[in-house]
Amino acid sequence: MTSYAFRRRLSRNFTRFCLAVFVCICLGPVLWAIVTSFLPLSAMTSTPPDLNPLNATLENYVEVFDTSRGLLSGLINSLIIALFTSAIALTLGAMAAYALARLNMPGSTPLLLVILATQMFPAIVIVIPLFLVMSRIDLIDKHIGLIVVYLSFVLPIVIWILKGFFEGIPLELERAAAVDGASPLQVFRHVILPISLPPLFATGVFAFIESWNEFFFAIILTRIHVKTAPIAIAEFSGQYQTLYGQMLASAVLASLPVVVLAIIFRKFILEGFVEGAVKA
Amino acid sequence: MIRAWNNENQFHRRRFRLGVYFMLPTVLILLIVLAYPILASLVLSSQKIIIASDGIRGTFLGFDNYTRLLGNELFQQALFRSIYFTLVEVVCVVSLGLLVALLLDTPSGRHAFFRVVLLVPWALAPVANAVLWKWIYNANYGVLNWIVVGLGFVERNVVWLGRPWLALNMILVADIWKSVPFIALLLLAGLQNIPNYLYRAAKLDGANTWQTFVHVTLPGLKTPLVISCVLQSIWALKVFDLIYVLTKGSPADSTVLLNYLAWRETFSNLDIGYGAAIADVLFLLMFLLALAYIRALRPRKRSANRG
Repeated sequence: MTSYAFRRRLSRNFTRFCLAVFVCICLGPVLWAIVTSFLPLSAMTSTPPDLNPLNATLENYVEVFDTSRGLLSGLINSLIIALFTSAIALTLGAMAAYALARLNMPGSTPLLLVILATQMFPAIVIVIPLFLVMSRIDLIDKHIGLIVVYLSFVLPIVIWILKGFFEGIPLELERAAAVDGASPLQVFRHVILPISLPPLFATGVFAFIESWNEFFFAIILTRIHVKTAPIAIAEFSGQYQTLYGQMLASAVLASLPVVVLAIIFRKFILEGFVEGAVKA
Repeated sequence: MIRAWNNENQFHRRRFRLGVYFMLPTVLILLIVLAYPILASLVLSSQKIIIASDGIRGTFLGFDNYTRLLGNELFQQALFRSIYFTLVEVVCVVSLGLLVALLLDTPSGRHAFFRVVLLVPWALAPVANAVLWKWIYNANYGVLNWIVVGLGFVERNVVWLGRPWLALNMILVADIWKSVPFIALLLLAGLQNIPNYLYRAAKLDGANTWQTFVHVTLPGLKTPLVISCVLQSIWALKVFDLIYVLTKGSPADSTVLLNYLAWRETFSNLDIGYGAAIADVLFLLMFLLALAYIRALRPRKRSANRG
């Protein structure tokens, strides 16, 4: 009996030790980046790093907001693009998801598989022709150009998630409204949408995170005016010299909003996206 | 009776009409930003594209871009390295993800705090992740050198991103760190779907921890494990941001993977037809993986219908 209790305590302590290691590995690199982003260059480049808290400074953060650095305009561009992309994806995606879930669309299963497969297309395949077309009609380095391209990967995810949710709404609810004389459009607007606000909002957050973080399309389809935040960060790690303090400060600033959003909406992310990937 | 049937019929007919209107904008956008470019990319890969002052002109080459590709040493190396990168990444991410999932499924690991911790690397922008590791790997002031020199593993600072194989593996480490959380969460969801009575039955039969893991947990996780492998291979083949920020393909093109090569040929060397051909090879690889994903999802659906 004692040996059993001892083994149980041992295994519980072992689990706790593993959990501690896990937390250190997950947060360590991030914390290190945050801490060093508050250090002046001299402290960052001394060996061992000089972590005296009295040296802490905001100079990296002040410098990244210098207009010539492009981070401020990058954050604004990212905000505009992410907001519009998620708003459009949510509107059109909710309509399409409802049609696929409830409005007897023929061939909805193959269509859904196509939508799922689009998640797996390499962006490089679509970006080359899009770049050629967009240069011809002058959409390179325009917000609208990037928003339309971002719909190519945001819209399918939005449809996929919302379809699962709409399927869970009892059909009797819609039938009852129809008996009361509501047209299908009125049913959608006055019955379906109001009860779907929480998932709609959370899906919007996800679409926002995806378009805020995007880098590959942005580096090809923008030049000067529409540079997004990820591009501004990458530019701090330049070809000739890397401004480490500013690079880290800008990465911290650009990551903060999405990490906070992800933590606030974690319940939805865990239930909606993670389990959605397993359950078809 | 007939009236009820008519009403039912009308209910569905009106809903069908609305459905068509609701699908139109989405179908139109997906045709423009997905279907057209995919077809156009196949056409481009058969051409030599010349960018002149008066526009873009293409000359038909047939399969020349593809034959050139297959004979090109850099392409072969990039293909080989992409396969190596994908295999190592999938094996590491899925096994580490499984370990983390099992850890978070223990009584002390169930606390919500650990899930919040797990979301941090996942939500981080890929570029921020790249920048983070660039600083950690820095040869002169990076914390990694400070640790390994301090612990006496090596005598002098290592230039982590300066040697061919080493640089590729360091990129792998950074990508694995960022990818484990999602897969761990996916497997954790799978673990929680395994019915509890199976564990109780195993205990009654006198199975030890290892036997329970092999005979209950692993079979129960089959679908999530297959899906994790497929999704992770797709994401590994797409890796770009890390290479762009950490090495730009250096040293000596040793960190050039397929996706990066296609980008560089197209947008730096302006060899658009050739770049499109590389992109299409990548597309084919991912298409096969996508088929595997859809197949992996199907059996589950059938059993759900039955139940």
